[in-house]
Amino acid sequence: MISIASNYYARLAKAHSFTMQIVCTAFAMIILVLLALVTAFLLYHGFTSINLAFFTQTPSGDIQNPGGMLHGLMGTAILITIASTVGIPLGMLTGVYLSEYASNSVLAGPTRFVADVLAGVPSIVVGILGYELLVVPLGDYNGWAGAIALAFIMVPIVARTTEEMLRLVPKSYREASVALGATKAGTILRVVIPSATGSLVTGIMLAIARVAGETAPLIFTALGSRFLPVIREPSPYFHPTDLQHPFPSLTKQIFDYATGPYPEQKRLAWAGILVLISLIFVLNLSIRYFATRTRRTAT
Amino acid sequence: MTAISSSQTERPAPAPLDRVGRVRLNNADFWLVLACRLSVFIVLGMLAALLIVLTKSAWPAMREFGPAFLVRSDWRPNELEQPKHDAAGKILFVDGEMVMETLAPTFGALPVIYGTAISSAIALAVAVPIGLGSALFLVRLAPKFLIAPVSFLIEFLAAIPSIAFGLWGLFVMAPFLQSTVEPAIKKSFGMIPGLRWLFFDGNRELPLVGRDMLCGGLILGVMILPIITAVSRDVLRAVPRTQIEGTLALGATWWQSCREMLRYSRSGLFGAVMLGLARAAGETMAITMVIGNNFQIKASPFAPAQTMSSLLANEFAEASGEMHRSALIEVALVLLLMSLLFNVVARYLVVGKSANTSSAH
Repeated sequence: MISIASNYYARLAKAHSFTMQIVCTAFAMIILVLLALVTAFLLYHGFTSINLAFFTQTPSGDIQNPGGMLHGLMGTAILITIASTVGIPLGMLTGVYLSEYASNSVLAGPTRFVADVLAGVPSIVVGILGYELLVVPLGDYNGWAGAIALAFIMVPIVARTTEEMLRLVPKSYREASVALGATKAGTILRVVIPSATGSLVTGIMLAIARVAGETAPLIFTALGSRFLPVIREPSPYFHPTDLQHPFPSLTKQIFDYATGPYPEQKRLAWAGILVLISLIFVLNLSIRYFATRTRRTAT
Repeated sequence: MTAISSSQTERPAPAPLDRVGRVRLNNADFWLVLACRLSVFIVLGMLAALLIVLTKSAWPAMREFGPAFLVRSDWRPNELEQPKHDAAGKILFVDGEMVMETLAPTFGALPVIYGTAISSAIALAVAVPIGLGSALFLVRLAPKFLIAPVSFLIEFLAAIPSIAFGLWGLFVMAPFLQSTVEPAIKKSFGMIPGLRWLFFDGNRELPLVGRDMLCGGLILGVMILPIITAVSRDVLRAVPRTQIEGTLALGATWWQSCREMLRYSRSGLFGAVMLGLARAAGETMAITMVIGNNFQIKASPFAPAQTMSSLLANEFAEASGEMHRSALIEVALVLLLMSLLFNVVARYLVVGKSANTSSAH
């Protein structure tokens, strides 16, 4: 009797277990199918919409033949360059401090906490901060505000990855360097950072990939524009970047076209997404390349 | 012995240790510490600036509306002129002319708080089971050769920008929901008496638009799947082997030992869910494109809605007055404080519990 009953429950449990194995596998497959669905549609619509004009023209104002997104590509490139110039050193120095100097400092705990918290701030709120601090005082939406908002988003990402990557450098490296008579700064700059270069590049690319696709912080700061972000007047040959006025970006232009009414502009939006996704995919692949390369050299 | 010493004397003098390449490091210690401290103070100042600037700009709205801002559901950026009613509710007439009264702009955030809560709840309902199941698959089931590629694909899904999901949701998912899924649901469940609220607003039949709360929640669910999967995978991986082997030795089936794992790491898993929730609540572009942007509270998930972030994205750049802008910034402040809360709780729960969270790839 008892053995029959326990046998029954054991078989039930086994069947249940087997079902759950199938369910878990199916869930993992769902994620992959979703990814396939998303990328398939983006690639399909992107490749059927993209053409040379996308890379060489600015908006024409003609609904039937809306031109290209050269202004957006240029704008995004400039925004990312400025944001990186500001954000990467700031983030890396913070990471260096947390990993190398903070062991006996009262600032360490709060800084780590703040960096973590900043990484989770919704990007649209960053945009509003940029509006209040840089758009209101300057009187107009401008490129600086957009770039600084993006830098704001990069700093915590770079700081956290830098700290983690530097922590992975074995303590013996530092001890050996100090034993040879190097100063602390010399140790950090010549031994610790060079031996972690690959993974530091990973962190930087992660941050760039993240801000390249950001739209929300740009709506209230750079606003977007339909023209190349250059100053025309002073000379016909030399066009300095115009960061004082509404500034174009790829993502904002995609958003405007996608939510607008014209089908030709929607096609441009698809093409823009294709370019953006390709950029991010390449960045991700190189992140993996750098990550595996460091792991190999470290062992 | 002599050979060694002679080779040492013949070797060129080593480069001085206070150089990086050709750059001499004069007082490098001093400058590096200074630069590091400075950037640390800037990082601390960034959070302070967020809180101070937003509070200061939201102050007019806070003073005007008080805490009732959070529970009121009017959102009227412009003055409204309407006929004046007397105490009995009739329209007042003086000399045959309607008496008009002007209502001042008024703001209340309840509908967007509701929208954020419900869309995040839908997202979690979708993403938590799938994320946890996939994490169990990756930790306990997947053959070795599958783990790395599947992990890479999940991380790539996390890297797709919000606007791409928005475009996909707007042109692929919303039309699909409108043409196929929602009519099917209506056909199957529309006759059940208790579910009338799903398809009717009062006596008016809701049109199935596709761009609604359901669509917004689903797209958020897709977007937070990777982070929930990745973090809970790392949390589950940190469960001690002996714990799993112990359950198996006692005769537990695969699923029974998995439940033991889930119970063992429940606080870390809760942290993973909180991270997902923080992401969902703060997400802007995708949800702005698919949720329909209608400032209202409706029980049905098939009605268009509005979240805090989509309200900001839609109205902030064209805010019509100081009070409107201030009210919007108060919404942003609520959003910021909420996501800070979620992140702090998540951090408290996940830190130290996951094997290797951020350098997982």
